Order: sequence, then C-alpha cells, then structure tokens
Amino acid sequence: MASFVAALRQTCRFAAGRVPLRCFSATPNVCSDIKLMAPGGGLDTPTVEVPEQEDFSSISGIPSTQLESRHVRIFVPARNPMQSGTYGTRTWRMEFDTQQRWENPLMGWSSTGDPLSNMTLDFNSKEDAIVFCEKNGWQYHVEERNWPKRKIKSYGDNFSWNKRTRVSSK
Amino acid sequence: MATLLKIWPLMGRRILGNPAACLACKSARTASGSSDQPEVELFVNDIPVSVPPGTTVLQACAEVGVQIPRFCYHDRLSIAGNCRMCLVEVEKSAKPVASCAMPVMKGMRVKTDSEIARKAREGVMEFLLMNHPLDCPICDQGGECDLQDQSMVFGSDRSRFVDMDHEGKRAVEDKDIGPLVKTIMTRCIQCTRCVRFANEIAGVEEIGTTGRGSDMQIGTYVEKLFGSELSGNIIDICPVGALTSKPYAFTARPWENRKTESIDVMDALGSNIIVATREGSVIRILPRLHEDINEEWLSDRSRFAYDGLKRQRLVSPMVKDASGTLVSCEWEDAFFTILDRLTGVTGSEIAAIAGGHADAESLIVLKDLLNRLGSEALCTEEIFPMDAAGTDLRSNYLLNTQISGIEEAEVVLLVGTNPRYEAPLLNARIRKSWLHNDLTVGVIGPQLDLTYEYDHLGDSTKVLQELAAGTHPFNKVLSSTKRAMIIVGSAVLQRADGGAIHAAMSTLAQNHRVKSGCDESWRVLNVLQRVASQVAALDLGYKAGVQVVRDNPPKVLYLLGADEQTVTKADLPSDCFVVYQGCHGDAGASMADVVLPGAAYTEKVGTYVNTEGRAQQTQVAVTPPGMAREDWKIIRALSEIVGQTLPYDNLNEVRRRLAQMSPNLTRYGDVEEANYFKQAEELAKSVKSSLASDALTPPQLSLKDFYMVDSISRASQTMAHCVAAVTKAEAK
Amino acid sequence: MASRLIRQSQGATKIVKQILSTDKAEARRRVLNLYKAWYRQIPYVVLNYEIPGVTVKDGRVKLREMFMKNKHVTDLRAIDFLVIRGQMELVETVNIWKQKNHIMTWFKDTWNPKPADFLSKFYEGN
Repeated sequence: MASFVAALRQTCRFAAGRVPLRCFSATPNVCSDIKLMAPGGGLDTPTVEVPEQEDFSSISGIPSTQLESRHVRIFVPARNPMQSGTYGTRTWRMEFDTQQRWENPLMGWSSTGDPLSNMTLDFNSKEDAIVFCEKNGWQYHVEERNWPKRKIKSYGDNFSWNKRTRVSSK
Repeated sequence: MATLLKIWPLMGRRILGNPAACLACKSARTASGSSDQPEVELFVNDIPVSVPPGTTVLQACAEVGVQIPRFCYHDRLSIAGNCRMCLVEVEKSAKPVASCAMPVMKGMRVKTDSEIARKAREGVMEFLLMNHPLDCPICDQGGECDLQDQSMVFGSDRSRFVDMDHEGKRAVEDKDIGPLVKTIMTRCIQCTRCVRFANEIAGVEEIGTTGRGSDMQIGTYVEKLFGSELSGNIIDICPVGALTSKPYAFTARPWENRKTESIDVMDALGSNIIVATREGSVIRILPRLHEDINEEWLSDRSRFAYDGLKRQRLVSPMVKDASGTLVSCEWEDAFFTILDRLTGVTGSEIAAIAGGHADAESLIVLKDLLNRLGSEALCTEEIFPMDAAGTDLRSNYLLNTQISGIEEAEVVLLVGTNPRYEAPLLNARIRKSWLHNDLTVGVIGPQLDLTYEYDHLGDSTKVLQELAAGTHPFNKVLSSTKRAMIIVGSAVLQRADGGAIHAAMSTLAQNHRVKSGCDESWRVLNVLQRVASQVAALDLGYKAGVQVVRDNPPKVLYLLGADEQTVTKADLPSDCFVVYQGCHGDAGASMADVVLPGAAYTEKVGTYVNTEGRAQQTQVAVTPPGMAREDWKIIRALSEIVGQTLPYDNLNEVRRRLAQMSPNLTRYGDVEEANYFKQAEELAKSVKSSLASDALTPPQLSLKDFYMVDSISRASQTMAHCVAAVTKAEAK
Repeated sequence: MASRLIRQSQGATKIVKQILSTDKAEARRRVLNLYKAWYRQIPYVVLNYEIPGVTVKDGRVKLREMFMKNKHVTDLRAIDFLVIRGQMELVETVNIWKQKNHIMTWFKDTWNPKPADFLSKFYEGN
C-alpha cells in the first residue's frame, strides 16, 4: 500500500513539476479574445453572416441516440373537458413520444429511463416550435389546432312556442 | 397607410390589453354569425369588439379573451342563467347583468372587473359556499373543480356562516343512477347542466329538478338508472364534484396524470380523446374538442371501456404444444414455428383476416407480406357488398356528407341503422339538428327510440324499392329539399342482398341529386361504418368479408385482431394453421396455433380512417405490456424470418409506403372526399342479387347491446356492470 | 410528414451577433490552432493518464476522429462554440481536473451498444 502511495506521489510530482508547465505555455488560448458584450448589444456589435437554417444539434450536447430516434409532437393542448377555463389552450406545446414507464418496486413511484419524458416546452406560435425542433435536429409533426365554433343562442329559445328548443322540464 | 394608422392603435390596445388577443381574433373569424346583418360594436373593459347581433355579452367578452366566471353556462347547452356567477357591470344599467343571457347592444360598455362586478361575484360565491361541503380533500373533482378554482379567485377570505343553532349545512341524499356516474348530491350547486344535457343532448328526459329554494334537488325523482349511451358526459360538465366517475373514483388527482391526445377506435367515428395515464396504465379517457366529429362529447363505451386494456391481455407469444395448450414462449420460437408451417405452403394457400381495430400501418405491412408470399386472400371481418363497383369507388363506403353535414341537412333518411348505438355521437348530431334546425328524419327499420321524432317508413325492403322507383310518399319529402342525406347502416349491407340494398339507395340518392338540383358538392348517399379499421382496409384494397376464406379454405390463416368469429375452426380444414396477432385473448386467440401479442390503440402510433374518410393518428400513451409489440413491427419482423424482408424499418418508411398506396391515409386531419356517385350508380344497375323479404334490422337494438362489441369492451368489467345494470333496469 | 418544412429555405443566410470569429478564415484558424494544441498535448495526456492500451498514435487518431465528427458544421457561431468547448476540455485535461475515466470514455462507451438492425431491436424491446 505504502509503495503504491509513494508511486502515486512520484507520478503527481512528475506531472505537476514538469509536464503541465511545459504544455501550458505551449497551449495557445484560442479564445483569448472573448469580449464581454454590452447587454443587448449596440449598433457597433460585430455581426457575422450565418445560414438562416440553424442547426445546433452538434453543440447541444444531446446524445445522437436521443436525436435520431425521438419524435416530437407539436400541438395545442386541449381544454380540460372537466373545467370551463381556456387558459391552458393559449400556447403551442412540444412533447416527445412516450417511452416505457414502470412502477418502482420499492416505493411504487413511477419510473422511466427516458431523459426527455418531462421536457415539454410551450411556444407562442407553432412556427417557433418548428424552428426550435429543426435547430435541435428532432423529427416532428404538427397537429393543427381545433377551434371551437361559436354559435348564436338566446335565452328566449327556452320559451319559444314554435321551436323544438322549448324547455318542458327544469 | 391611412387605414393602417386607423387600425393600429386599436390592435395595439388589444394586444396590450390581453395576451390572449390573438386567440380572440381567430375565434372571432370562426364565429358562425349571420354575415348579412351588420355587426354590433361594444366595449369590454374599454376594448372595442364587434360581434354579430344576438351574441351574448359573455361570448363577446370571450372574443377579446376575457373569460367570465360561470357555473351554469355551457357553450353546448341552452342558456339557463341561474347560477348568477357571470354577473358583470354594464354602464348605465341599474343592476349587474347576467352576461350569459344578455344579448349585446350597440355601444354597450361592459366592465368585467369593476368594484360592482367583483362584489356581485363575491356575494354569489358566498351563497354557493354556504351550502357546499368542505370536502375538497376527499373529492374526486379536487384539482379540476370550477368551484374550487373560482372560490380561490372570487371567494371571500372569511365566512359569515356561523351555524349557531348547529343546524348543519344543507345535506342531500346520494342517488344511484347507474354503474358509471357516482353522485354526491350534497356537493350539487344546482347549475342544472346535467339536466340540460340529459334533455337536450342525450335526449333522455330522466333527470330533472324537484323542490324549491334550498330544498331543490337534482335527480331522477324515482330512483332509476340514467339509461343513456352518453351518460359519462354529465361527469365532465358538472362544475363541482356532485357527479363524478365511478370507475375512476379515488384513483388519481388530475395533476398526477400524463395526458396524451389520441383517437378513439371503439366506433367508426374516430372521436378525439385525451388518454390520461399514470404509472404506465390508462386510468381515464376524456373527450377532446373536434367540432366536426365529436364536438366535446364522448360515448360511454369509448370513455369507460379502458379497464378492458388491463384485462385478458396477451403479454407474451404463445405456441400450441402437443397436448393442444397454448404455452408462452420467446418471440424467436413463435416466429420459427410459423416459418416451419409456411415452408412448403404455396401462396394461394395462405389467407389473412383483419379485425376492427387494425391500424393502417399493420394492414399495409400484412398486405405486403402476403403479396410477397404469393397470396391475394386478404379480407376484413366486416362484410361489404362487392357487387358492381363494390369497394372500388370510395364514395360507396364513406359517410360522404360528413358528420358536420348533418347540421346543414334538411332531411335525413336512416336505412337499417340504429345510430344511437352504432355511433352515439352521430345520433347526437342528428338530434342537435332536429332540435335546432327542424330537421326531418325518416327511418327504415324497426321502430326504436332514437331520442328524436321521426317518420317511420316501415322495415321491409319493399319500401326501398318504392323509394328507388319514386312512388313512396316520402319521396315528396325528399324532393322538397336540396339538402337530403341517406345514411345506410353497414349492418344491413352485410345481408345476402346487401348489394341490392346498396344499389337501390344509390339509385335513390343519384336520382335525388339530379332532380333536386342540389349543389354539386352536396352528397346524398352515406354509409355508416361500425368499426374503426374498415375504411382504411378498403382504401388499401382489402376484400370486404371473409367469403374468400370460406371459398378457398387456406392452410395458413393469419388473424390480425379478428375476434368476431366470422370464421371458426369448423369453417377451416382440420390441418389449417391459425396465427393470431392482437391485444386480447378473445375468440381469435382461442382458435389459434400461434399467438403474437400486439398493442392496443392506446399503445401505438396508428393511422385510422373514420367513416367520413378522415385519416387520424393515435398516439402512444403507455407502452405495450410484457413482450407485446407494435403491430406493424411484428409483421415486419416475421417477414425477415420467412425470408421476405419488407423494405421498411421505421414508422416514417411505413407511412411513405401507405402514402404510395393511398395518399389520403397520411393526410392527417383532412377528409379525403370521394365523388363518383354517377359512375357508382351506373355500375350499381348491374347488381344481380334482388332484395330479400326479411325486415331490415340492425343488430344493436337496445342499450344492452351497446356496451360490449369488441375485444376490449368485452374484457372490460365496467362494461359488464353496465350490461348487468341495464338488464336489471329492464326487468323491473 | 411535416418535418423539414423550413429546411427548404437552405442557402439563405442571415446576420447575427458574432461570438468570436468574423469570417470563415478566422474560424478555420481557430479550429486549426485548437487542433495543433491538442496534437502537441497528446503525448503528455497519454503519459499522465496512463490509459491501458492507448498509445500516442491512438490518441491522435481519436483526436482527428473527434474533430471530423463536426466537419459538417458551417454556422460560424457553432464552430466558435465548439472551439470554446474544445479549449475548455483541453485546459481540464492539462490540469488533471479530469479523471482517468473521463478520458477513457472517449475511447469506449460506458454503456452496452444498442442493436442496430430491425430484428435485434424488435427482440430487445421497444
């Protein structure tokens, strides 16, 4: 054991003493000219021309298995039919396809091996959601939203004498 | 530029005024107002809005994204105006106004958040809560309760209910109205939504109110079953926890559920649903808005048969052993058993039958596999007359006018169908149109309670002949309108003379189209299918009916979810090898030599085409249980084992193949119309068979017949309870 | 499918705020500098971390492979971002802020490879 520690110390000293110093000086910092930009940027902020279709799948850090095999659904969540409110139906949502879920045998909690199962994002428009998916390299499909139809109705219909809408029971 | 300047500040204010402004603009466009009258302009919280005259103040507020609190008002029911929660202040009005019942007037200035409005709401809330129990922690509505939410916003922070004499709150006895709806009547706030639903939408006038004041009760007066095929919807519309779901009772809280928006396959309408899941099992199904299919309703079978998804499931492949028992095995074993039996069998000795829940993906993969093996014997369980044009012209087997077309129709003729149980939501549409648009309905078939009045033309086929010849009195009714619909039930087309019935109706429809001078785009002939897979199967070129299998008994028979016993062991040679692929251990699996476990409709992404010809896709809510797999993958894997590897590995590639065969199958959400009525009618003249004399009777006659029709609903305990309850009620 | 709706507008460009590089040549220079720095460092990395069975040559092959993996990237900002990240990795490697296993995962995945063909995927599960 003691000899192992000694050997380790030896290696460390060797590493700390010679090599890193040598290589650090030899390592040019390729990013040394990073400048802090003023928030929001000004007119004089340097700009570059990039392809309009952005693709950040290479820098997002998402493993390629999760990029190729996953499918995103873009839709407007339906109103909960149990309630009257429509606040939940304003925005477009992206959601990943459902993967296996099981009950944890210890506590009975729900488990999943899917890192994206809880990643739902809301967007103001479906175009935003599409751009986001394209940018990240996910396959997707869009489900168009269904609008409720408003119809004209009147309290008087309950009492009309010549229509079938007359209410007989209350 | 000038117009722009004029509009701009208005737009600006709208957007600033409310984040939901874009929503409001869109729904304003879709509002179906009579466009010939000038719109009325009013101001909601100083935001100007123009709406068609006759609109209520509450609807006008919704146009600019201001949601008025409400309990009794429901978009799809008549206006009751009894909860008073929607009170708003209107300038120059002495009292607060009930916005749900008040039509808009020019220049009205509505204030929805003023001192008066808020005070009025707080007062209403206090009265409601005075008699409402404080049992939210044990109430199933908790978390999705309108009363709970609105009391958080509008309720007072202290109570004046002191109960000095210990009289207690109002308490009402619970009622037993059946195995689906649980009632806790003490929670009722008398909004009468359920009463209006039963009377207006369901057409079952069994729920009403008795008593006055704080003695008022909602109920059936004498305790009885709420016998409606749409009864589950009163759970949804109840704004409090008075009516809750019995099967779902104490199961979960809404915030624990994962919701997947999917499509229903229990009937051929393809109702849009929300599948709620927790811990990998389906715990609730709710309707989802689709104006052209199910509005916001759902039939009881679609809503409550979900417990069948957990019972009688096939969870591993099985092979029959020497003693004739099915034994669980690995996928490889099952596949190689099939391979053994397939070697040496020629293509013409293989056949396949597709059942009512098969998705288009598995249908196309199965068809490709069998075609590669040299077989053309692919058929569906549901029979459809193949004489004349048969299934070659799509217009022959679709509900061409579409479900929403019923609201434009003036006359509907139902032939040999009981839409009330075959397609409850289609029936609800007919009733809606009958109620609001004075629709005239004629029925050929037995005299049944369809929830609306109709002219009964008899149930013999003679009526069809007379109608086709134009000599029946009902022809006069038909000729008086340009908007007539003939809906033929797919059940009567399955008789031996189905071809002749279809031909007679085709002639009648075409004659009517020519004579009435109706719009070219108005279709008259409609066929109401009963199973979800039929239209897609016919689109893909499956033969309707199992006659092919009967005529040439195969050596290998592949059943794709075929459970209706259209072909039994007795029809097959004794050495016939039967492969069953499906989700439930039902009739099909019991006659099989090899069983391959498939996925149910909540467990796969599948394309279904509804009876209108509208392609829709289901979504995966939970993964298939055990070793079960998605259906198309099973057949694709099998194809590799038998050495006929099919050229697609993922869903997109299968979909591409689907689009190749029939492009409409992947245009999700759209109705692909069919329009060869003239040609179909001409071909129909060549039909050889003649009309038989038996009465035109659909198979589902009473509510009892409605609940259990497919392998999922047959496995469901809830559905069994329903049948028992209805049987008991009928016996009384 | 609705996928690749926007992809059609390929070739179009837009002006955005830069991260580091103002043009392609500059970005290329940064990438090459980073590559060279790594290239020179590899003998020391191999020495310091003592990865079993990995020689200097293997390290250089892996370096090349990791750079080539992103050769399709054309967006200047993405290139800069990758360079910054590469530089960070380099500094962490040089300072021995990394541990042996961090280096080892570059050479061998820590998880079992998933089957690629249809049938094996089918047998394995969903």
